[in-house]
Amino acid sequence: MANATTHTPANRGFLEKSGRYGGIFSWIFSTDHKRIGLLYFWCIVAFFLIGSLLGALIRLELFAPGRTIMGAQTYNAAFTLHGVIMIFLFIIPSVPAAFGNMILPLQLGARDVSFPRLNLFSWWLYVIGAAMAVTALFTGGGPPDTGWTFYVPYSVGTTANVSLAAIAVFILGFSSILTGLNFITTIHRLRTKGLGWGRLPLFVWTLYATAWIQLLATPILGITVVLLFVERVLGTGLFDPSLGGDPIMFQHLFWIYSHPAVYIMVLPAMGVISEIIPVFARKPAFGYKAMVISSLAIAFAGSLVWAHHMYTSGMSDTAVMIFSLLTFLVAIPSAIKVFNWLATMYKGSILLDPPMLYALSFILLFSIGGLTGLVLGSAATDVSVHDTHFVVGHFHYTMFGGTGMAFFGAMHYWLPKIYGRMYNKKIATIAWVTIFVGINVVYMSMMVVGVQGMPRRYYDYLPEFTALNRVSTCGAWVLVTGLLMMFVNIFYGTFRGKSVGSNPWGGATLEWTVSSPPPPENFEEEPVVTHGPYDFKKAGVV
Amino acid sequence: MLLGIAATMVYFVIRYNRKRCPEPTSQKDDNLWLELTWTIIPTIIVMAMFWFGWEGYLSLRRVPDNAMEVNCSARMWSWLFTYESGKTSDKLYVPVGRPVKVILTAKDVVHSFYVPAFRIKRDCVPGMETYAWFVAEEAGSYNIFCAEYCGVGHAAMITTVEAVPKEEFDVWVQHNTEVLVHPGKILFEKYLCTGCHVFDDQKRIGPSMKDIKDRQVVVVTDGQERTISSDRDYIIRSILNPNADIVKGFPPAMPAYEGGIPEEEMEQILDFLMNGNKEQPVLPGAQLLEKGGCSACHSTDGSRQIGPSLKGVFNRQVTVKKDGREVTITSDHAYLERAIRKPKAEIVAGFPPVMQIMGELSDAEIETIVEYLQTL
Repeated sequence: MANATTHTPANRGFLEKSGRYGGIFSWIFSTDHKRIGLLYFWCIVAFFLIGSLLGALIRLELFAPGRTIMGAQTYNAAFTLHGVIMIFLFIIPSVPAAFGNMILPLQLGARDVSFPRLNLFSWWLYVIGAAMAVTALFTGGGPPDTGWTFYVPYSVGTTANVSLAAIAVFILGFSSILTGLNFITTIHRLRTKGLGWGRLPLFVWTLYATAWIQLLATPILGITVVLLFVERVLGTGLFDPSLGGDPIMFQHLFWIYSHPAVYIMVLPAMGVISEIIPVFARKPAFGYKAMVISSLAIAFAGSLVWAHHMYTSGMSDTAVMIFSLLTFLVAIPSAIKVFNWLATMYKGSILLDPPMLYALSFILLFSIGGLTGLVLGSAATDVSVHDTHFVVGHFHYTMFGGTGMAFFGAMHYWLPKIYGRMYNKKIATIAWVTIFVGINVVYMSMMVVGVQGMPRRYYDYLPEFTALNRVSTCGAWVLVTGLLMMFVNIFYGTFRGKSVGSNPWGGATLEWTVSSPPPPENFEEEPVVTHGPYDFKKAGVV
Repeated sequence: MLLGIAATMVYFVIRYNRKRCPEPTSQKDDNLWLELTWTIIPTIIVMAMFWFGWEGYLSLRRVPDNAMEVNCSARMWSWLFTYESGKTSDKLYVPVGRPVKVILTAKDVVHSFYVPAFRIKRDCVPGMETYAWFVAEEAGSYNIFCAEYCGVGHAAMITTVEAVPKEEFDVWVQHNTEVLVHPGKILFEKYLCTGCHVFDDQKRIGPSMKDIKDRQVVVVTDGQERTISSDRDYIIRSILNPNADIVKGFPPAMPAYEGGIPEEEMEQILDFLMNGNKEQPVLPGAQLLEKGGCSACHSTDGSRQIGPSLKGVFNRQVTVKKDGREVTITSDHAYLERAIRKPKAEIVAGFPPVMQIMGELSDAEIETIVEYLQTL
């Protein structure tokens, strides 16, 4: 804590200009994992803000039945973009690409990832894919209007610019695959002396499990969107029943990737929570082995449940039974994690700093998302609420209440490390309360209106659904206020905040042993690990 | 469960807050029995949930043997129901109390047949048949939504299940028009009046009911002939005590219904006989607009929907987009026909190019529609 009292960090570490290029080129051509992580971070935050704006506009349109601020076609484009941006440009890369890149080599005691140039290439693919997705809005037959699921035959027939969007998703997929490959190799090959598999921080374990899904499942998404592209351009008829094709096959192919993808989104988030809770409870993570096994189990079993999105699609009843059974099995490792987090807090010494608040809200909101997920996993109840606003509420609880909260938690936990400066904790706490209230108002009312029968992706609705839609829209305003407060505070703290020492939270993992911001080469000499990731006594940070 | 997690969390946060516990009081990080407990108990719970969910699902799939079958075809953005009698409608009429099996398919893209009131949902997939079944236990109107996103008119793809009494349904389903049957007519059939009384100019056992209201009739009362007006009082009298005033030339064969018809039903029969027996024939063109799914997007009253209104459509000046250029043309007979056969070639400015080619309409049917459009 040498620099805790001064206003500027003693040195600017990796943020200092270095290498061949200056200015922006020192960033976009950098192979330093920390710089690449920050590039991802700022792009992801930018897309999150655009996606949130679209989400807020959708809620505004639904404030009253009939036309409120936009027409039906605009509305359909808006929710498609909201979905595509939030899924492919925000949530999937959020924790692994941004914080995985920044933190993983540090936690392993490594100088960088295994393939730094490939890492930079992955970021470039992400930017190119994102640029193409944006281009798709303004060219061809207008912005895509298919929903992020691109279901055929609608996506084949529509005159909107689906082809370019499909290619963009294909390229984004490669970015994800290469990052996964890089992380797996790094974790296997670059662990420092003394850092055995049993001493890996839980965040690393979740990144490891995630990387395998990225590597194995993403190619199927690539194949699927290529087939969609070929179907649109060449009319191959694979999905066209009048040519002997099968539209349901597309749904299978799509979900074989897109369901495991929700575990790409949520596993690293769980890793973040597993880092934060021990540090702020001053206790080792409870059930380390169970946490590791449950991460791997989620990654494995999560790859076998895709067709639970399709109970009503017309597939066979036997398939419904098998996928319902497997879906319930996935719930078990998630439940174990929740119990372990709670047990970690038991008899601890809990400090409610902003990262901990986000971690606790993750547990609550993700539990709501998980338990409502059981309603959807059960075949009989799913038939009733499938494709209604209940589903919209459910996945926003898991994705926003889950991964979103973990992303914000990681921001409040690690950005002081990366930039060496602290945000205003009081404002961060107020922003957290606002966001927490906003999320619950927005998505709880959505779930209720869904149970009452309002289908999703509805531009207009019957008058009896008005009251709850209005409540949800008001909640969105609260939520947006909280988000703005949080981001302004984080931005201000990042560039103008008080400088903090190398270990502001008293963490025991390796990233806290180097200065803040970390030096370009991370470690002066190769560190030797002599204790577990949450052994605060042996780390000397009690 | 959720409350338990929340309560435990809040309790721990307060109980083990740093102010109260400056140092952790335990460093324990595992407990095999505890971990086994919270692995096994949730496993049992979720397996039970799976089982009940599966059982419930099976009951949604097992259709009772006595179910009535209705075919349902979904297209952008309307529903077409076809009954065993061959009759079609855009609302789903069903008899109360009888299981109905809806056999689903789609013409263009994937739709989903969703009736929240009966908690059923099943996708309508082109080139494939799926099904759902339900029983409407009470008469009434229940919403049907499309639950699978299908484009610009998705949120407007709403119709209803109309559950009506069995007698009413049986009459309706044999009927040719979309007009729902007058309840008095069903009663008129239920009390077997139709055996002797018809609504055309023919004589049956009893006099025709055509234009019965205030008709001058010659009746025989106690052997005396007199001319009266068949007003409300006379009709009631004729039902309750028919042989008191028998219309001349007919046998006194009608049974007396005194006490056999509740007052409420009597009112409905009277209303039917005196006001409601004139049926509005539906023009074939109008029927085709329903059958072709046109009315899902085109109104006939001038209101703007997904597509332009058909009111006054004939010979009006419209600006259309053709080959990327905007041209103003007259919507004559030839244009209307082109607009049906190749809708995306010339799109009226300001409307999305979303209309489907009407492959299911024959040439003669298209001609009928175009002729009908000229009258709107």
